[in-house]
Amino acid sequence: MKRRTFLQLAGAGALAAPFVSPAAAQQATVRWWYHFDNPQNSPAELVAAFEKENPGIKIQAESIPWGGGSDYYTRLFASLVAGNAPDCAMVKLNNQAQLLQMGALEPLDSRLGGWAARSDISDSIWNVNKATDGKQYFLPVQYVVLYLYYRTDLFQAAGLQPPKTYEDFLAAAKALTKGDVYGFGMRGGAGGHDNWAPFVLGNGATFDKGGMVSEKALAGNRFYVSLMRDHKVVPPSAPTDGFRQIVDGFKAGRSAMVIHHVGSSNEMVQALGDKVSAVPVPKPAGAKGWTIFGDESNAVFSASKQKDAAFRWISFLSTANNNVAFNKLTGQLPVTTSSAATWDVHPKRFVEASAASLPAAGVLPDLPKTADFVRTVWPTSMQRALLGQITPDDMMKAVEAHFHG
Amino acid sequence: MTTASPSAAALRTAATPYLFLAPALLVTLAVVLVPVAQTVWMSLHDYILYRPQNVPFIGLGNFTRLLKDEVFWISLWNSAWWIVLVVGLQFALGLGAALLLNQSFWWRGLARSLIIIPWALPSVIIGLTWTWMYDFNVGVLNDLVLRLGLVDKPVPWLAQPTTSFYAIVLALVWQGFPFFAVTILAGLQTIGQELYEAADIDGATRFQRLRLVILPSIADVIMTALLLRTIWVANSLDVILVMTGGGPGYATHTLPLYAFLKAYSGMEFGYGSALALVLTALLLVVVFAYVRRAAKDLGR
Repeated sequence: MKRRTFLQLAGAGALAAPFVSPAAAQQATVRWWYHFDNPQNSPAELVAAFEKENPGIKIQAESIPWGGGSDYYTRLFASLVAGNAPDCAMVKLNNQAQLLQMGALEPLDSRLGGWAARSDISDSIWNVNKATDGKQYFLPVQYVVLYLYYRTDLFQAAGLQPPKTYEDFLAAAKALTKGDVYGFGMRGGAGGHDNWAPFVLGNGATFDKGGMVSEKALAGNRFYVSLMRDHKVVPPSAPTDGFRQIVDGFKAGRSAMVIHHVGSSNEMVQALGDKVSAVPVPKPAGAKGWTIFGDESNAVFSASKQKDAAFRWISFLSTANNNVAFNKLTGQLPVTTSSAATWDVHPKRFVEASAASLPAAGVLPDLPKTADFVRTVWPTSMQRALLGQITPDDMMKAVEAHFHG
Repeated sequence: MTTASPSAAALRTAATPYLFLAPALLVTLAVVLVPVAQTVWMSLHDYILYRPQNVPFIGLGNFTRLLKDEVFWISLWNSAWWIVLVVGLQFALGLGAALLLNQSFWWRGLARSLIIIPWALPSVIIGLTWTWMYDFNVGVLNDLVLRLGLVDKPVPWLAQPTTSFYAIVLALVWQGFPFFAVTILAGLQTIGQELYEAADIDGATRFQRLRLVILPSIADVIMTALLLRTIWVANSLDVILVMTGGGPGYATHTLPLYAFLKAYSGMEFGYGSALALVLTALLLVVVFAYVRRAAKDLGR
């Protein structure tokens, strides 16, 4: 062998070495999509801890813009259809039916059977996340429940108790609407269905055929629309106000009540101190009421070539301390029972209001048309009703027509 | 190797230009014609993205549905009004700015660079900036009109159908006028000094100079810029999407936005494609005018 040839071969061997070593051959890379409300939070520490525990697995965590849900799901759906989806991703129940219909989800039942920490998540949370075919595709990772924030100082000054029923709510909203303060910071823009649901689903509307045009459903919606049209207890900007607008308005002292979840409690307290507290959303007198259970899980996709490694990662995130660390990043509540007692990320009154809201908490039905209802049909028809372009009953007919043609 | 016969040589000569064009044609085929063909195919099917196994052929079903769709007509009307207002105002403002920037003053260089800023900003940033400027509770615009005493209560600019459309038009005008300013300014600089001198000698007023010397000299530039901008504005939906998402109700729905929402929110790619094709057909008229102009310029 000539000297030059030998050198060339040796060089090539050195370059190729990392690709043939046995450890590297077993290396699996798991692509995981996530979205955090605060994009500055990074899951890097969790990834490092996991990779240390599982030397054969590398996690490629990709932050995907949420954009009220539309951006995230548009990308997820497009990547699934294009065959370039991640191995696992954060997902919500209102897209489970669509993902199932696409055949995109991997059932987790057999893997969950062998997972020791399964029982640390309560049965009620497992049940809410179960798919219509009885299988478990979602592994819960965090939750929130929508409740009512209210200004303790304004209520006290007006001699009012925090509202329990719709009647209390309207009376308080009227009493507190003064000058440039409005009683209720209504969310009529993107995501506002979760402000509307307690008054309409809570009053007896359902997603079954005819359920949106029943007398109780129509009455609930008329009440909600009347808050703007007749009683004028919400800001005129309500039709297009989204999350940021209602929270900023509340923080700036422009509204006395808003509906959101524990995720915004810290910034509320930062702005208002102990002048803000929370109670479950109003309900009809003597009834259970209804509020939205804000779910978030992780799922493994059926097209993934690294299903076991992906499951190992997502189950890691839902295990005791890791789940606590994860929820410190998202600002929501851990799903593990063991961490509930020690949870100190949110002031206690908001965690208690969340727990008190759980009995009435539910999710929108897992139907392929739910996502479009949330993203387009509800905001458009709600806004038209709030502006008086259509009647509240026409709005409910549009919702009924969307689901049942 | 045998020498080529005369006819083979002629063939080769004739084929050479096509060979040179082939790479560009192939790329165009791949990135333009294939997606267009795919859109046409989807528009003839009831293609719903979350139901990929079941895509029935429905012929012109999507197009007949569209004729009966109230929102389509609202969006079409909004689109027409949108193009006229946005392009018209951008042009008027751009022309004014160009005439100013063509004067000589000591910080002209700086002014010419500063005017580009709105044009250089990403649309999403522009959408967000203007959304917060219009905000009901904390917006600077409400603060300003309240302090000036023009209104006695803040105005929900983006939440009422009477103002939301024009509020977005204003944001778009601000974003796009630098394009006209820069293009027209370039045109102005091609006008020879002797034309101005001749006009002066003939005793032309400033307005006559604008109408009889400047505008005719840059008519070609203006026409091309108007056509191009019409195509871009007709297609654009990003700022509307960020600012109102098409609301309140259908007040700020335009045709491309409606097609986008149908496709990416409703996952109805078939119907969304049909809507997009209608927009394409309408725009082809403008594109045709533009291509004819461009060809005429080449022929000179």
